[in-house]
Amino acid sequence: MITQERYRTTVKELLANGSIKMAIGYRLGSTPDRRRPLFIRTSEEADQLVLDSTCMTNLSGYLVTEGLLSDEKKVGIFLRPEGIRSINILAAEYQLNADQIVIFGFDSTGRDVRPLDGRNVGEFSKLLNEIKEHPLQIVKEPLHWRIEKMNAKERFDFWQEEFSRCIKCYACRQACPMCYCRRCIVDSNQPQWINTSSHTLGNFEWNIVRAFHLSGRCVQCGNCDRACPVNIPLRLINQRMANEVLDGFDHFAGLSPTQEPVLASFKKDDTETFIL
Amino acid sequence: MSELKFEPKIVAFVCTYCTYAGADLAGTSRLKYAPNVRIVRLPCTGRISPMFILKALQKGADGVLVSGCHPGDCHFTHGNYHARRRWMVFRALLDFTGISPERVMFSWISAAEGSKFADLINSVTEDIRKLGPFDQYQQLIKETESPATL
Repeated sequence: MITQERYRTTVKELLANGSIKMAIGYRLGSTPDRRRPLFIRTSEEADQLVLDSTCMTNLSGYLVTEGLLSDEKKVGIFLRPEGIRSINILAAEYQLNADQIVIFGFDSTGRDVRPLDGRNVGEFSKLLNEIKEHPLQIVKEPLHWRIEKMNAKERFDFWQEEFSRCIKCYACRQACPMCYCRRCIVDSNQPQWINTSSHTLGNFEWNIVRAFHLSGRCVQCGNCDRACPVNIPLRLINQRMANEVLDGFDHFAGLSPTQEPVLASFKKDDTETFIL
Repeated sequence: MSELKFEPKIVAFVCTYCTYAGADLAGTSRLKYAPNVRIVRLPCTGRISPMFILKALQKGADGVLVSGCHPGDCHFTHGNYHARRRWMVFRALLDFTGISPERVMFSWISAAEGSKFADLINSVTEDIRKLGPFDQYQQLIKETESPATL
C-alpha cells in the first residue's frame, strides 16, 4: 500500500513537471485478482493506479505501439525485473530508445510489494546480473522432469496433445512484448507457412516457430502463459530455450540495452558436436 | 508382387556455392549415390529458415539434411556462422518437442567434396532407413486431406 501511494505521488509529480508525458501502470480489473493496464496522462488518472502482488502482466509491449515514442518525450512504465529485461532487449533490437523510458520498478514476495531503486535501465544492471546468477527456475516443475524423461515419440505425443488444444487465436503472440513484427509469419499467405484451418495440423509448426523466434529473447514474464485460453504450458518451452542459450552461449537475455541478440550474432569458435 | 519396402524420403537444403556444387561434382564424377534425396538449392545456409525443415517434415519427409560451406568458406563471408548458431538452438528445440535429432542432420560439404557428398547421402539414407518412416504426422495429414507433396 505504501509503495502504491508513493508511486502515485511520484507519477503525479513527474507528469506535473513535464518530465514524462504518460505513465503505463495497472488499475483494477473485472475481478478482484485481475488487473488491467492503465495509461496515466492526468493526475486524476494517477489516483486509479493500483500496485500489488497481482500486477503480473509485463506492460513493456505497449511501448512499441506505433507513434508512442516518436515525439521523443519520455514515458514512464511500471515494470517487474523481467519487464526491465524486455526494455533492454527492445532497445538492443532498436525498437526503442532506452533513454526515453522512465522505469518505476517493483517486485513482490508473497503479497508484499517493494519498489526497485532506479529510473533508467542502466541503474538496474546490478540487479539483473544477480538474477542471471540465480535465475527463476521453473524447470523444477514436475511436468518438466516428466518431459525430460520421455523418449522422442512420447515427447512428440505429449506436445501434440498439448498443441491439439491450440485454437490459433495467437493470444500468446499478442501478449508477448517481444512479438512486435508488423507482419508475423502466420499473417503472411504467400507462402502459407502455417495452416490456417482450425485443425491441429499447423499448431505444431506455429508453436515451435514461436518458441524459436523467442529463443535468446524470452525473459519468462509469463504473458503468453497467462494469455493462452487453453492453458498450453508455453513457458516450459521458452524456459528450455533460455537455458539452452545460457548454457551454449552464456547469453542471458536483456542484461543491457547494448547486448547483442544471440541469434543475430556469432562467434567463429562456436562449438557444436553434431555437424557432419 | 514385390514386397513394399520402406524407401526414406530425404529433403536436402543446400547452399548453392558449396554443397550444391559438391553434388554437381559427384554427378560429373559419375559417383553413384542413393536416389532418396531431393535437393533444394538455396543461396546460402543463412537463408535456411527453421520453417523449411518443419514444413519438409510435415509434408512427408522422413529425414532432412541441411548442408553448406565449411566455416570460413561462406560466399557471403559469415552466413554459415549465423546458420550454425541457429541450428544449435533449433536442434535443442526439436529434441525437446519430440522430433528425434537423428532425423535432421547438418553437414559442411565444399564444392570439391563430391565424394563426401555421395558418401553422406548414402549413410544418411541408411540411417533413416533404420529409423523407419516419420509417421507421427501421417494421421493429421490424412484427416485434413492436406496434400503431401513429396
